[in-house]
Amino acid sequence: MKIVYNWLRDFVGVTAPPDELASRLALSGTNISGIENGAHGAVIDAEVSSNRPDCLGHYGIAREVSAVYKLPLKPISPKPQESVAAKAGDAARVEIQSPELCGRFTARVIRGAKIQPSPQWLKDRLEASGVASINNVVDASNYVMLELGHALHAFDYDKVRDHRIVVRRAKPSEKLRTLDGIERTLDPGICMICDGDGSRAVGIGGIMGGAETEISFSTKNVLIECAWFDPIAIRRATRILKLHTEASTRFGRGADFEMAELASRRCAELILQLAGGELLAGVVDVYPGKRQPKKILLTRAELLRVMGADVPDKQIESSLSALGFAAVRVDQNRGAEGSLLAAWECTQPSWRAEVEREIDLIEEVARIYGLDKFPPRLPAARQGAARLPHYEAETRLRERLIGLGYCEILTIPHVAEDRDALFRPPDLQPARLANPLSEKANVLKSTGIVTMPAALEWNLNRGQRNVRLFEIGRHYRLHGSESVETPILTIGTTGEARAKGLYDTPRDYSFADLKGDLDALGALAGGFTWNEGGPAWLHPARRGRVALHNEAIGEAGELTLRIADQLKLRQEIFLAELQLPSLYAVIRAAKESRKYEPVPRFPAVERDFSLLLADGTHFSDVAATVRSLNIREIVFIEAIDLYRGKNVPAGQYSLLIRVTFQSRETTLTEAQLTDFSARIVAALEKQLGARLRAS
Amino acid sequence: MSTPENKTALPLMHLGVTRPEELAPLFAGLRGRFDEECAWACDDSSWKQFRDAWLGRKSGVLTQITENWLEPATIELKRVVGQELNQLRAHVESKIEERRKAIEAGAGEAASARERVDLSLPGVIRPIGSHHLIRQVFQQIEDIFFSIGFSVVEGPEIETPYYNFEALNIPEFHPVRDDMDTFYLDLPKGATPPLLLRTHTSPMQIRTMEKRQPPVRVIVPGKVYRRDNPDATHSFIFHQVEGLAVDTDITFCDFTGTIEYFVKQFFGPGVKTRFRPSYFPFTEPSVEFDGSCIFCGGRGSAAGGGICSKCKGSGWIELFGAGMVDPAVYGFVKYDPKKVSGFAFGMGIDRLAMLKYGIDDIQVFFQNDVRFLRQFP
Repeated sequence: MKIVYNWLRDFVGVTAPPDELASRLALSGTNISGIENGAHGAVIDAEVSSNRPDCLGHYGIAREVSAVYKLPLKPISPKPQESVAAKAGDAARVEIQSPELCGRFTARVIRGAKIQPSPQWLKDRLEASGVASINNVVDASNYVMLELGHALHAFDYDKVRDHRIVVRRAKPSEKLRTLDGIERTLDPGICMICDGDGSRAVGIGGIMGGAETEISFSTKNVLIECAWFDPIAIRRATRILKLHTEASTRFGRGADFEMAELASRRCAELILQLAGGELLAGVVDVYPGKRQPKKILLTRAELLRVMGADVPDKQIESSLSALGFAAVRVDQNRGAEGSLLAAWECTQPSWRAEVEREIDLIEEVARIYGLDKFPPRLPAARQGAARLPHYEAETRLRERLIGLGYCEILTIPHVAEDRDALFRPPDLQPARLANPLSEKANVLKSTGIVTMPAALEWNLNRGQRNVRLFEIGRHYRLHGSESVETPILTIGTTGEARAKGLYDTPRDYSFADLKGDLDALGALAGGFTWNEGGPAWLHPARRGRVALHNEAIGEAGELTLRIADQLKLRQEIFLAELQLPSLYAVIRAAKESRKYEPVPRFPAVERDFSLLLADGTHFSDVAATVRSLNIREIVFIEAIDLYRGKNVPAGQYSLLIRVTFQSRETTLTEAQLTDFSARIVAALEKQLGARLRAS
Repeated sequence: MSTPENKTALPLMHLGVTRPEELAPLFAGLRGRFDEECAWACDDSSWKQFRDAWLGRKSGVLTQITENWLEPATIELKRVVGQELNQLRAHVESKIEERRKAIEAGAGEAASARERVDLSLPGVIRPIGSHHLIRQVFQQIEDIFFSIGFSVVEGPEIETPYYNFEALNIPEFHPVRDDMDTFYLDLPKGATPPLLLRTHTSPMQIRTMEKRQPPVRVIVPGKVYRRDNPDATHSFIFHQVEGLAVDTDITFCDFTGTIEYFVKQFFGPGVKTRFRPSYFPFTEPSVEFDGSCIFCGGRGSAAGGGICSKCKGSGWIELFGAGMVDPAVYGFVKYDPKKVSGFAFGMGIDRLAMLKYGIDDIQVFFQNDVRFLRQFP
């Protein structure tokens, strides 16, 4: 809504300069988005909130100004000269067949108007308001809309068949060509303005007129429609028709029943002034929606309960009265100023249908009084505050990942269906969008991993070769018509594990790096176990499943060549995905169950064994074999070195393991250690066919 | 370091000392020996050896004196031995410390340039990751509200129209719905209720009040979605922190006090605040909350002349919407609107982060360019 400063001054004698006025309006609830100084003086651009249809006209804004500045508001009482002989009621008839959609319909008729361009002053005001000038009659209706906030429509009276208006619901699939030249298909929820016997539609009620009855330069006689339409029906219709107009905005937010007649009278006055002619006496006014104004009680007790600080009686009364609520003290202590028991009975003005409750009045009083007059204070807390249950586990995971060199990212969960399908487990129902913005973003990611390659790719394409990323997010799936969101950790990395530097040689990131980093996370939960296998998007030779206490919680490995190629990723990509709910739970449980273990008092001794093993024999087999001896003094079994190639027969590999012995009771003797070593070698030879290499 | 004539290894009696006046020359001799040896301590290792010879706890000279001279001494000698020993100890300790300082001071020059580290070279560079800026801002906000008694809760991003709209007093065809263009899920035919991506974190107001009785104080960090075409200031995904406080005695003053506390903690004590009346269907009175422009200091004019482009010359920047919970909302969660009152707010995190860190394109939060991410470790 563009507020033309000079126009505003037609109704309220405000002298404050436009910028100060705008600022006061902003602080009393009219959202101001800017001020322009144009050819026609200052224009204040207001974003009127949807609960204030009364402020979609200069008069409504003037009422706000009068309340804020405590200035009188000039009453509107147009008194156009009417014909002595002819009556509107004889010239036009109106029938409302759908009173639930149209609560009031008024018609006035002007005969012998001369349609011509509008005078300059009128063009100027319309231009300042951003409305194009068409002709004097159409401009008059637009002018009144901008002045009083109520939309009107002018018909060519002679094109209205039988000079009879019928307001009814649209028939299924009924069509109408509106003023903008577009043929529109309607439905029975939409209110139609029809003529004659009601079979021909001449306008969509409260939204737009029809082309056939519009004012043209050959029009002689004018029928002014000024009505009231149900706001919900209007909003529904605008959404179905995708047609938003100045009229639909006003009716859709709830117009003023009483204003319908007043605006019509004002419009008639203006047309007589601009186009001459004869106004037929009276008005055809069909008003099935007439209602009694509501009474609303405001008490000081409730004001204090909600606002926490008081407002003086005079201020309450003057604000409410200026806004049209006619506040009257009704409590027993009427004489006592500032009484805690004070109560005011207010009358809801027709232009403020949304003010129905005491709280609504409290807001009115507070905003005019000034929100800054209520002293801020910090309330005392009554309860302990709690973080999210997984706060600590999540924080420790995040900090550990960052310490390991990973940057946290946030990805948009909207992905392309075909991309999602690359990573989606079979038989899974993804959450597709019914109204995506594009086909590239038409499904919510059903795995955590699907958005990770794109994040790596973005960086690779910008010269960043070594990238380590992680995301703590969710994936989204449907189970029937139920949605399931699961917190998930995704890791993606490519490039070097160690860059060439002053002290180091470079080394590419490998599966072992990923496994080591994940195990560093697993340590928070008492350790992961790794199992063979994994999803099809991971390289079959370099992938694994991660489990916690036999519960599978994720997978890790190198992105399979097939997908890497498809996504045009030329570097090796390593990915991992872990389900967070189980991980969080186990991290928490592990923390709770940890107990002190005394640090051993006796020295530990290490013994290395260099083994030749057949390919396919795993380190875990070696460790299990050693453990199967049940030597209590064995505290660690580590793999120290692994070698294939020269001096190692084909089909075999060399593995150096280190076993650490330690007793809690005594210092181990050489004899004991020799015995342990011999048993280990014997077991490995017997059970795994291992051969001890000379070292 | 002990000399052949190691007198301190023997009791005084064995040295033939029986009278107090015989002690002074004995101690003077020791002091002379100490001063002589002092010169030999010329580097780190000889200094340590020297220190241990005199001050070592097991067999240092002073320990020997204590054990061999002082403890077995006769009453008449004991007092004088004690005095002499204390004087000697003070002398030894101060000289040894002096010597250490001298050695250290000399070492800088003495060590050859070859041995000295080149401090301008980097150490071993370890890759260190970074926290996403949005996550950091969430954390700051959580910490501030946690410190004044707000708990943190989370909720689903896929919501029903009931929680996203209806229970927040936004019935179908309410004009406010036009401002929140909504993504809907494609569900099997006939599935009810429809599912949508929440357009704000406010559904958690309802879910929280359904589960808990007042007093309630929660904040809800999370992702929200609006079907806007992306540009520098719009993203169809962004982040919010919802806040809700309901109790038997929460007033508008408590509300503005809480918000003001937050803004001063978040942007700094110099930022001024103001509340403008506004409209949201689920709060009343509703406010739009402004902070003084952090770019121009609230003056409205740019440093280089002209108006400040960030606040468009007004000196104020719109931060977020808030208000007292509308009594109609309590009806949906079976709270008694006559007994309880409260406030709610919903702040856009991306916007706050952009304002605080001077970011001019919301898309950077989602591009995940490591050159951006590493700016905010």
